[in-house]
Amino acid sequence: MSKSLHTVVLFHSTNHALRAEKVLVEAGVSCKLIPVPRQISSDCGVCIRIGRTDRETALRALETSGVEIEGIYSI
Amino acid sequence: MTRTVDARGLPCPQPVIQTRNALQESAAVTTIVDNVTAQQNVTRMAEKSGCTVQAEEREDGIYLHIGKGELPQGEAGTQPPSTLAGGPLVLVIPDDSMGRGDHELGQILIRGFFHTLGEVEPLPDTIIFFNSGVKLVVDGSPVLEDLQDLRGRGVEILACGTCLGHYDLKDKVAVGEVSNMYTIAETMLGAGKVISL
Repeated sequence: MSKSLHTVVLFHSTNHALRAEKVLVEAGVSCKLIPVPRQISSDCGVCIRIGRTDRETALRALETSGVEIEGIYSI
Repeated sequence: MTRTVDARGLPCPQPVIQTRNALQESAAVTTIVDNVTAQQNVTRMAEKSGCTVQAEEREDGIYLHIGKGELPQGEAGTQPPSTLAGGPLVLVIPDDSMGRGDHELGQILIRGFFHTLGEVEPLPDTIIFFNSGVKLVVDGSPVLEDLQDLRGRGVEILACGTCLGHYDLKDKVAVGEVSNMYTIAETMLGAGKVISL
């Protein structure tokens, strides 16, 4: 299971996730808004999935933009 | 005797309707159309009814030579009863957003829905898009990748041609086939289960 392809980033609200998506698109990071995977949470929320190799770039862009992150997981 | 249907210049789904009517009276029909969408729709209808279709491109139009195949009891136009285990599973998408209420939320939900569709069972046999739902099958759609993936796994994707025309998106279709009300209605009526969002 160490070979996870993706990183998912969870946010405090759907609006935060949308804002984060805009930030990532502007930063040129390819990402996808997806429902939070079952194994992470049974909450009905959305999160952002990015490629594992984009993780550092993405997190830096999000930090700069000030969108608060709730959690980061590898899937 | 071969009957000729001149369907050039006719709006969808007239070419299909007129061809079908002609086929009820004649074993061989030549339908002349002037665009590829009409050609595809007429061909699909004819082949579904067990006919053979030969296309011939001439300067003044596309000539579709349609002949009835070997049909038992000459029951042309009668669809075979729905297949195994209750028939196909058909998913209907009438909007580019999921549920009533806030539109922006609905668009988030529909993106999540199509992503999830690729991860759960069973896969639908056909997904039909109409009204603003057709905005999901064109260039720039937020769910294009998911739909292409589903298409690659054998899911038939049909988009209403009238609706694409209405939103001026006909030349932007990026996945699936442009369809008409005939095929849409037949697909729904022939389904084992129809789920409409």
